[in-house]
Amino acid sequence: MQRDVTSAPGRNGLIPTRRELLALAALGMAAGVRPAVAAASGQLTYAVHISLAPTWFDPAETPSLVTPYMIYYALHDAVLKPMPGELMAHSLAESWSATEDGMTYSFVLRDGVTFHNGEKVTAEDVKFSFERYHGAAKGPLHDRVASVETPDARHVTFRLKNPWPDFLTFYAATTGAGWVVPKKYVEKVGDDGFKKAPIGAGPYKFVSFTPGVELVLEAYEGYWRKVPSVKRLVLKVIPEEATRLAALKHGEVDIAYSIRGELAAELRQTPGLTLKPVVIQSPFWLYFPEQWDAKSPWHDVRVRQAARLALDLKTINQALTAGYSRIHGSLIPDNFEFFWKPPEPVYDPEKAKQLLATAGYPDGFDAGFYNCDSSYANLAEATNNYLGAVGINAKLRPLERVSFNQQFMDKKLKNIIQAGSGSFGNAATRFETFVVKGGAYVYGNYPDLDAMFEQQAVELDHGKRAAILTKMQEILYERVIGTHLWQLAFINGVGPRVGESNFDRIAGFPYTAPYEDLTLKST
Amino acid sequence: MKQFVTRRLGYSLLSLLVLSLTIFFFVRVTGDPAALLVEPGASEDDIAAIHHKFGLDKPLWAQYGLFMMSLLRGDFGQSFYYQTPVLDLYFDRLPNSLLLALVAMAFSLAVGIPTGILAAVRVGRFWDSAGKLFALLGLSLPSFFVGLVLILLFSVYLGWLPSSGSGGVLHILMPAFALGWYFAAAHMRLTRSSMLEVLGSEYVKLARLKGLPQSWVIGKHAFKNALIPVVTLAGINLVLMINVAVVVETVFAWPGVGRLLYEGISFRDFPVVQGIVIMGGTMIVVVNLLVDVVYAVIDPRIRLEK
Repeated sequence: MQRDVTSAPGRNGLIPTRRELLALAALGMAAGVRPAVAAASGQLTYAVHISLAPTWFDPAETPSLVTPYMIYYALHDAVLKPMPGELMAHSLAESWSATEDGMTYSFVLRDGVTFHNGEKVTAEDVKFSFERYHGAAKGPLHDRVASVETPDARHVTFRLKNPWPDFLTFYAATTGAGWVVPKKYVEKVGDDGFKKAPIGAGPYKFVSFTPGVELVLEAYEGYWRKVPSVKRLVLKVIPEEATRLAALKHGEVDIAYSIRGELAAELRQTPGLTLKPVVIQSPFWLYFPEQWDAKSPWHDVRVRQAARLALDLKTINQALTAGYSRIHGSLIPDNFEFFWKPPEPVYDPEKAKQLLATAGYPDGFDAGFYNCDSSYANLAEATNNYLGAVGINAKLRPLERVSFNQQFMDKKLKNIIQAGSGSFGNAATRFETFVVKGGAYVYGNYPDLDAMFEQQAVELDHGKRAAILTKMQEILYERVIGTHLWQLAFINGVGPRVGESNFDRIAGFPYTAPYEDLTLKST
Repeated sequence: MKQFVTRRLGYSLLSLLVLSLTIFFFVRVTGDPAALLVEPGASEDDIAAIHHKFGLDKPLWAQYGLFMMSLLRGDFGQSFYYQTPVLDLYFDRLPNSLLLALVAMAFSLAVGIPTGILAAVRVGRFWDSAGKLFALLGLSLPSFFVGLVLILLFSVYLGWLPSSGSGGVLHILMPAFALGWYFAAAHMRLTRSSMLEVLGSEYVKLARLKGLPQSWVIGKHAFKNALIPVVTLAGINLVLMINVAVVVETVFAWPGVGRLLYEGISFRDFPVVQGIVIMGGTMIVVVNLLVDVVYAVIDPRIRLEK
């Protein structure tokens, strides 16, 4: 017996309910018939902040980074994928279902969808892409799937070894395993050949790539969802931020990624240019690794509460990211499934001092080091000043990113750690990495939270699982295991020729997907 | 002569061996590339998988052995980041670096030599002071600052030149100026001091006593001799321009070897950094070897030195 697992309530609106699913399935069916629209025209040029890597042309190699999705959304398509308003929108699949026992997931592919070389997207391609995937989450994904069956060209069935409530989170939102490549073509040209001339089922075809310089894409007019409006996309790599802004001002590019600080303020004041901030799935927080040490001041929850009250997050946000970062109080990104919103952060330095006094530190205390990734030393400096103002006196210790991450993981950092993460997942995956026993960045643990984590990991009832994860987040907040700083805004610039830039349409996604929805004012 | 050349060749190979060892261990001191290829918060399994993929889980001596064996076969390895052979990346970028270096060199010589001569001839006067100021600014202003000021002026305010990239004559003007100014200043200073030395020599005094016109004395007698050290320096500078234009190429998004090196360093792309440094080192070693051999051909005392 099969049931529609998406009918469970309480999913923050990210996963559709049964009724929504029916509506979406209907929409998906309708979307299979492409509306007649004008042919693509014009060129849109990007100033990209980071060198594009050919590994990002191949979803099989998806690392634990959001950046490759900048390319995937253009070149490729997925069975399900995050789209505007939906975390797991039907894409190549027009519908899906799961059995009651959570052991089998079945997908029905759209009819008539083709790759850029004209070949049809089939169930074999879906299976091949899943099995070929060897990116960051290969272990958790492949180890839990017993088999992938393809009874015919449009049906794919995944059979799991054990019930795994997060299967879809990993398959559709966290990894590249659900992004589909053409089996016959990949087998013909090999992995290296594929990276040199990738073919996908996305809205844009590969034209040329010069490593470190530019990527040129052209609209695929056979794209199932709609014919892209813009004919040509050119992604130019301009590593220097001021040069990106100059290129945008001079009209050499239409969209410039990552313009921060004072340059963002300048961009905002430039007539014709538009600032487009996107709050990405990357919260930052202070982590207190000595809270499990009875001799440390951080062992006292009142000290940790004082740290939370000492921070004027709104002012910091205004000063550093022009107020565009989001302050919500949680260590979990607010676009993640199972997110629970804590009480609004309050800035109350007097109460913070009182709490410190009642904890036995009326004159404050020497808090040792405030460790941070040097890329975010500006945030650390501001935060540390506020801590110092209530008597939590720490010395700022900015570390180069690699060294910081390594020391964080090796449990070598002490006192205060400014943590952050942009990894994909849901509330449970963030707990796994940062809170519960065995997590890569966990310095200590609380047995009740560990037990609840184990419990939710096998809970198939979505509502019950959500309740457990909500309770876990409440405990996380009450015990001040860490205290939220902000969810970072990625700030971009858009030139006067652009109509729809697509920024901030897909929750937490920093780039301009879906590309087929891009428009130029002149087109 | 044969013994001299063999000895110099041996020194050159030894230099390259030391260079390969130094750069191999130096890049590894900078940190773990895997940490830059994942988001903060990635699991240990993610990082271990990257180590395995790039052979970074092997002992250091084994990594070096494999690196040297590949190098001897002419294989500089595969870029971690671009997943492309390092030599392909290098030779894709080299023509751009050569072009930029040649234009920057032409600019630096066209400006540095005349101003150096003028400063020497008008020593202690306005043109000498102006030349010194030019040299001071050229040598002391960081090229990223010069680059950004140029972009602001010529791209943003005046709108005359493209701010970045390559493709046309206009694209190269600002990066060539930003790169060439420093070297123009160096060439100006050397020309000036060399000219002052030559202008004070006996044969120039004799030429003047003979009543030759000033332009003839400077152009025919002094300049030619004063030019020798400048040309020697320019040759070495050209190699430097090809290999060290990191900042200028990055500011102007010029797709050259310098920017590739910047990318290699930024992403802890060990094979790329190693490859560029060894290629640059090889160029310098070969140029030095050729210079030594030419000197030895010209001056027998050099080749007879033990």
